[in-house]
Amino acid sequence: MKLWVYIVRRLLLFIPTLIGLTFIVFVLSHSGGTNLVLAEYVNPRLTGEARTLLIQKLTEEFHLNQPIYIQYFYWLYQIMQGNWGYTNTPIFSGSVVTAIELFLPNTAMIAAVASILIWVIGVPLGVYSAVNRDSATDQVVRVGSFSLYAMPIYLIAVALILAVGVYLKILPFAGVVNPLLVSNLSWYHNGISYPTHIILIDAILHNNWQVAWNAFLHLLLPSLTLALATVASIIRILRASMLEVLDQDYIRLAWSKGISAKLVYNLHARRNALLPLLTLFGLTVAFLLGGAVVIETVFSYPGIGYWTTQALLNNDVGGIMASTLLFGLILVSANLILDIAYAFVDPRIRY
Amino acid sequence: MSEVLKVKEVKQQFYTRRGIYKALNGIELELRKGEVFGIAGESGSGKSTLGLTIMGLLPRNASVTSGSVLLDGKDVIAPLREYATKSNQKFNFRRNENVIKKMNRELSTIRGNKVAMVFQDPMTSLNPVLQVGYQVAETMLVHQPRTLAMRRLARANAKRSDLNEALKVLRATESDEKALEDFFRNKGLEGLTEQVISIWRRKDLADAKKEKMILSLHSEKLSWFDRFVLNAVKEKGNLPSWLSKTPILSRYTRRVLLKEGYLKALELLSTLEVPNADKVIRMYPHELSGGMRQRIVIAIALANNPELVIMDEPTSALDVTVQAQILELVRHLKVKFNTSFIFISHDLSVLSEVCDRIGIMYGGRIVEIAPTKEIFDNPMHPYTKFLIAAIPTLEEKEIQEIGGAVPDMRFPPSGCMFHPRCPYIMEICRERVPDMIQVSKDHYVACFLYSGDNK
Repeated sequence: MKLWVYIVRRLLLFIPTLIGLTFIVFVLSHSGGTNLVLAEYVNPRLTGEARTLLIQKLTEEFHLNQPIYIQYFYWLYQIMQGNWGYTNTPIFSGSVVTAIELFLPNTAMIAAVASILIWVIGVPLGVYSAVNRDSATDQVVRVGSFSLYAMPIYLIAVALILAVGVYLKILPFAGVVNPLLVSNLSWYHNGISYPTHIILIDAILHNNWQVAWNAFLHLLLPSLTLALATVASIIRILRASMLEVLDQDYIRLAWSKGISAKLVYNLHARRNALLPLLTLFGLTVAFLLGGAVVIETVFSYPGIGYWTTQALLNNDVGGIMASTLLFGLILVSANLILDIAYAFVDPRIRY
Repeated sequence: MSEVLKVKEVKQQFYTRRGIYKALNGIELELRKGEVFGIAGESGSGKSTLGLTIMGLLPRNASVTSGSVLLDGKDVIAPLREYATKSNQKFNFRRNENVIKKMNRELSTIRGNKVAMVFQDPMTSLNPVLQVGYQVAETMLVHQPRTLAMRRLARANAKRSDLNEALKVLRATESDEKALEDFFRNKGLEGLTEQVISIWRRKDLADAKKEKMILSLHSEKLSWFDRFVLNAVKEKGNLPSWLSKTPILSRYTRRVLLKEGYLKALELLSTLEVPNADKVIRMYPHELSGGMRQRIVIAIALANNPELVIMDEPTSALDVTVQAQILELVRHLKVKFNTSFIFISHDLSVLSEVCDRIGIMYGGRIVEIAPTKEIFDNPMHPYTKFLIAAIPTLEEKEIQEIGGAVPDMRFPPSGCMFHPRCPYIMEICRERVPDMIQVSKDHYVACFLYSGDNK
């Protein structure tokens, strides 16, 4: 089978997955006692004729007098048209597409930095821990990763904020940038920077290195928290798979060739040990998204997770549905990309 | 005759959760140059462990309590023995592993270069994520970078006329390698000798095709970077450390040599009669059959023309036709390179095909050593007699089996290891370990039946 046939088949599988996901969330968010759509769009202080007219108009527009599953298909139809609805939260109100445009880049930024941290911290530690099995360092790494693994992500976040932000005062821990620095900039209005909406990159584009450095410092704590929460499982699995690989016949053959230990560990063993981690990385993407919701809230970091939390807290159906669909889309695409990546990393896998 | 390998009084044991397995209990072995020495015995007699001990490739729970393995003038297992004596009763896996790591460093100049090993199962002994060409080339890259550099430089510097003359030399002297070697040395093109000869020797090509291939080995284009790296390797004998240690640069400098390594691997595989060798070197192990993979493993072992190759049941996982091909290959290599082999097998009939001498192992000791013909004509140790009687033949005779089982090596029997199963058991067998005695030239046996002091 050719690769593109496989990709098309997987893409077709996206449809039932995403429909299932959004259907459940749609039904759950629409079957509460109060009608969330009305609650969102009708001003409580509005009374009398105007209120009745508005409710009538909304009922017609959102097909509120139809059963929920029919309403779902109307929603789906709108989504296919490219109309993702509207969101109304304290941090943003307007078109959902605009909200995603504003918030997604920020989340992508911390997810990217966290991913880099995960690999930079996780892979060397996991390999070192396996190669020097039972040494003092290995014991420390094992206990450390196990503790991190057991800790809920918000606990890690709060612990880091207290330690690094409050007591040591090394790193800032709220928002994306110090507001005083950006108050008079031409490319920054109302907490939104232009053109990429990621303040670090925008500052570099506008050659403003002071803001860039400040934005970078703001990025560190959330990304580090996100990385720490994930890196524990990477270390534990890499250590286990590395130990398994080091016992294989081909590693003994590699030693018998007289090549350097560095080559045996870093090429012959590590390349094989990393294969099971690819699968794990698919799960990591899910974990990063879920973690982003918590972490962005704790750090008041204006990303997609923060917006989702706000949408949930404010009964914002448009926001909830759009973010559900978006998260689902990211997750299935990430898994597809990983499955394709397998074919390139492991020569035994061909589609 | 000079000895390639000297194994003296090696005792080795494995620490496991269920007790201490005494795998080797005083092995004595001397190997001559160009000799094929067979080791036979039942499963669990310590054959493979002996091979691994000679290579120093032991797992972390292995401890060498005494003895020495002299290889290339170096005592391979000295660090392990020293640790075992120092630690006495308190064996620590981690410390032992550190000793093994140290040994890996120290032995890296010997392994793959002077001594190489072919492992039992070809299906698992190649790295699944690396191209087979790389796996063969890698070991040449470590041990003979200069040869690789010279080969490529010679190809770049040679002119067509040089190769025409070389062909004349080959025809005039009737394929004399020495003459060709002298001819190329005078021209300063040493690297070309083996390339020309390997093509000349190929049986699967017509003469006209071979000559055409040889004549194409000239005026190869080299980029300035390649030429610079190759010249540096030619002068210094290896990659200069500032090139091989700088992160990104090292990858490119290695690649220059690796490219030539692939070509040499291709030559080697053609010598080993691997069909479509030029395609095979770009393949991954899973794309090849078992017999083919074993040839690749053998190619890795032979890449640097080692003095000694240990073959640990190289044919056990293969079908008989492939087995016959591999045995033929061993015989051929012995003659061609004057390489010594240790050929480990549980199958005496396989050993009888290729070996000059055979040693019979039982319970971690060698109980009889004799030339191949002698051991079949005149087996002396009771165990040897049984092993030979147990070989299946075409004649309708009853196959004799040996009563009892291999002893539990956690609690080895006192005295002679074989005494619980031996039909000729005497009092002394329980009490003392029999010494190796010489019964005729090259024939040694460890049994009280022949020692005279059996009272």
